[in-house]
Amino acid sequence: MTITRRDFIRSMALNSAAIAAATMFPGIIFAGWKPTDLPADSIKWSKTPCRFCGTGCGLLVGVSGKRAVAVKGDPNCSVNKGLCCVKGYHSIQILYGKDRFTTAYVRKDGKMVPTPIDKALDLIAVKMKESIKKTGKDSVCIYGSGQWSIPDGYAASKFFKGCIGTNNVEANARLCMASAVTGCLTSFGLDEPMGCYEDIDNADVFITWGNNMAEMHPVLFSRMLANRKSKTHVKIIDLTTRSTRSSQAADKSILFNPQSDLAIANAICYEIIKNNWVNQDFVTRHVSFHKGKTNIGYGTEDHFKFKDKAETVSFESFKTFLADYTPEKTEKISGVSAENIKYLAALYGDPSKKVTSFWTMGMNQHTRGTWINNLVYNIHLLTGKISSPGNSPFSLTGQPSACGTVREVGTLTHKLPHGVVMKEGDRKMAAKIWGVPESNIDPKPTYHTVEMFRALDRGDINFMWIQVTNPMVTMPNLKRYRDGAKKDGRFIVVSEIYPTPTSDVADVILPSALWVEREGFFGNSERRTQHNAQLVPKPGEAMCNTWQLIQVARRMGFEKQFPWSQETYIEDIWNEYIQFHDTPKHRMASYELLNERSGVSWPYVDGKETRWRYNGKYDPACKDKTYDFYGKPDHKAWIWLRPYEPAAESPDREYPFWLNTGRVLEHWHTGSMTRRIPILHKAVPESYVEINPEDAKAMGVVNGTKVKISSRRGSVVMKALINGRGNPPEGMVFVPFFDESYLINEVTLDAFCPISKQPDYKKCAVKLEKV
Amino acid sequence: MQKLSDKSDFKPDKKSMKLFFMFAVIGAIALPIIIFQAFSVDTGKALAQVNTAPVSDFDHNAKQLFKAYNKTTPAYMEGNSTSRTLNYYYSLRQYPGSPPFIPHDLVVEKGVEQACLSCHERGGFTQSMNRFTPVTPHPQHTYCGQCHIKTVTQTLFIENDWVSVLPPKLGRSELAGSPPPIAHAIQMRENCIACHVGPGTVVPIRVEHPMRGNCRQCHVSREVKTLFTRNPK
Repeated sequence: MTITRRDFIRSMALNSAAIAAATMFPGIIFAGWKPTDLPADSIKWSKTPCRFCGTGCGLLVGVSGKRAVAVKGDPNCSVNKGLCCVKGYHSIQILYGKDRFTTAYVRKDGKMVPTPIDKALDLIAVKMKESIKKTGKDSVCIYGSGQWSIPDGYAASKFFKGCIGTNNVEANARLCMASAVTGCLTSFGLDEPMGCYEDIDNADVFITWGNNMAEMHPVLFSRMLANRKSKTHVKIIDLTTRSTRSSQAADKSILFNPQSDLAIANAICYEIIKNNWVNQDFVTRHVSFHKGKTNIGYGTEDHFKFKDKAETVSFESFKTFLADYTPEKTEKISGVSAENIKYLAALYGDPSKKVTSFWTMGMNQHTRGTWINNLVYNIHLLTGKISSPGNSPFSLTGQPSACGTVREVGTLTHKLPHGVVMKEGDRKMAAKIWGVPESNIDPKPTYHTVEMFRALDRGDINFMWIQVTNPMVTMPNLKRYRDGAKKDGRFIVVSEIYPTPTSDVADVILPSALWVEREGFFGNSERRTQHNAQLVPKPGEAMCNTWQLIQVARRMGFEKQFPWSQETYIEDIWNEYIQFHDTPKHRMASYELLNERSGVSWPYVDGKETRWRYNGKYDPACKDKTYDFYGKPDHKAWIWLRPYEPAAESPDREYPFWLNTGRVLEHWHTGSMTRRIPILHKAVPESYVEINPEDAKAMGVVNGTKVKISSRRGSVVMKALINGRGNPPEGMVFVPFFDESYLINEVTLDAFCPISKQPDYKKCAVKLEKV
Repeated sequence: MQKLSDKSDFKPDKKSMKLFFMFAVIGAIALPIIIFQAFSVDTGKALAQVNTAPVSDFDHNAKQLFKAYNKTTPAYMEGNSTSRTLNYYYSLRQYPGSPPFIPHDLVVEKGVEQACLSCHERGGFTQSMNRFTPVTPHPQHTYCGQCHIKTVTQTLFIENDWVSVLPPKLGRSELAGSPPPIAHAIQMRENCIACHVGPGTVVPIRVEHPMRGNCRQCHVSREVKTLFTRNPK
């Protein structure tokens, strides 16, 4: 038999006719896709920020009828310019998981009973009043997150700090970027990055510090790759403790021992000074030198207290301090060759190269998180590579509104929407805008997150309201805090969309409206505020978190402070909130403008977004056209002398492995949303422990072998993964924390940075046993 | 998961077929490779532009697309040997325009760049899969794993009630015989010939006249469905 071209075409034509016919019966053919009878062209597209990470991609959500049916990247959003990641493209499916909470539940005789939401809100108000009456206002607390929309966090702060008068307001962001905050505050006096994502298009060198951007911030990573592809000289250097996808794409990947980033950063400064790469003019005019306390502890004990004390020193003392960090000495601590340290210093030091440093949890979840933030700023300050296009030390955030809601609204115990509770002027401003007596606002901060859960365990706190986060998966040393939450006499309210280990310990579950089921605002990593309108109806009795707080506040007698109508409360809150930031240092865009645009960066002054702060060329708050670090009283950025100090717990004979935890591309945070997206669950259905091939060989472990990981606090049994997408070095294991079936945080340690109070999820000692 | 065995009609089973087969393979692989090599050099420039302007605009990238078209040989354009069906095409997606998941084993498990694009940027015949490779319409994005993932199980964590719309209907001309408007969103799919021309494309969406290069001369976007109304002062 021979086939002529004509025969071939004929047969293909027949094939295609058959296929065309098959498409007319869509119900029977699509495996992954469940079409309704709505035609393809019935979609209406509307803008919203993505629900997941702090990148803040603009999405266009396609709504057909009353359902969200498709997603496109928003080409008008300068963050992602039309590109999303796989989570963003499938994000709308989080609205439709089968087990969505659509009614409130109240625990009766140990069982959760469906209850009308008004009754549940009544009960919450009663319980709060009861607890305040019996054990004082500091026995009630609220724990939110960077997934809070800005009005949620604002209402929580006003309700608890302004009305009830307790500073018991904390958020998951404490576990996520508190060190970035204290890093910014100690070095610059004001929080949040000075640069913006345009730095990615302008930099010549990218140095990522303990940061797997390819999986955690894939859209920004792609933007970095695009820059490298468009120019021949651009380099990406991956400084890491574990080989990842980002290492694969980098021009050079440098492995360092956990915690030794402190020494490496100092060694880079040493080399910069030694080789005369210091930008003398910049340093003389815009930098001052300071020393803080050392041997500052790890916070593993209850009631741990620490207060740093700054002492001004000279450039000369900085040089003397750095003598301990020659590349050769640092090689011994870090495992990074002196040659590689010199290479890094040369990249930072080369005056013709624009350098951007990126970091996220590697530097922030660190018992010396504030210090390592300071130290990377030191490098950029010595070389003057800061606050100009492409020169940017940049902490990326993990949650969609960690910046917008936690850092800017100030939903942390010591913060107010503007300033801190300790300062009289800041309290006065808040009291005036909130319409409460100034005496209402307590000048003393109470508990940071870890201490708040310890207080719950001890019984100092007996009422906790948890909104939009999942601490019963994310708290380090988890068992203690879960047992504490379950103790008699504790009353836990959980505002959630799906059942989670946190809703499992709740006494009341409130069904929340999610993302595009309500109106709100997020604020991303680069100071960009993004508005989302309500695009689809709320399911059942689901209620917006802001409205839940307003309802309970009114039931407790604060009608005057929460007067808004259900039609306009989000707009009203925005207009009240932005009064806190009405200076050229932080002015926010109007409600109308945010409705119109795919995000607006603050400070928004005279119709212009400020893309680089502290640089007079771009920032109207500067006093002249040069640099002005106006956050500090001396108008200078502070270089800090911060030494290397070891981790809270390091491997020893009994527990010989480092345990490192983190995320994967497909799942976001604790996976309570992404695991309900079919395609994402099918791609990564469960967590695993990554083991180095040599360690695995020594233990006789192959892919899929069950391994018991134990620390002094707890243990978990899970499957081994060898040569997966990441590869830890010998002596380290890595576990993604998204899977509630394998609670790796029962193994982790609740040691934290004494300055930021952010726990270290990247370092503790464990042993492995083949099961 | 659907298995990707090739049932195409031209698979040689006789000695006489071997010559024909070799010829076809050389024609189908070598030419496009030479052609697209030249094309790939220019993506950098295109990207430099992309970085400063909205990306989804056809007019912005048109030169690039015409260049790609110019360099694609008639032999490649008329090539037609796929066994991929439209049903199969949709089964890899969650809704019209969603990034398809990866239906085959990965050659390099860990790769970020290059690995996927070594086949999917240029197309051509892939021996190991015994089929012609579909071509990506956006080779300028090199971190494929950001959007395209491989599934390892078919079970779900929790059932999901999500539904989407029907796929766009094919060949809906406004008048009998007039060129049909573009039925899908163009964002990320600006390069028409990637999906509508060549031996790796899905048959029902293959154009019958691949030699005409200016697709948008006749086929216009139909994203707005309202009719013109005057807005007199």
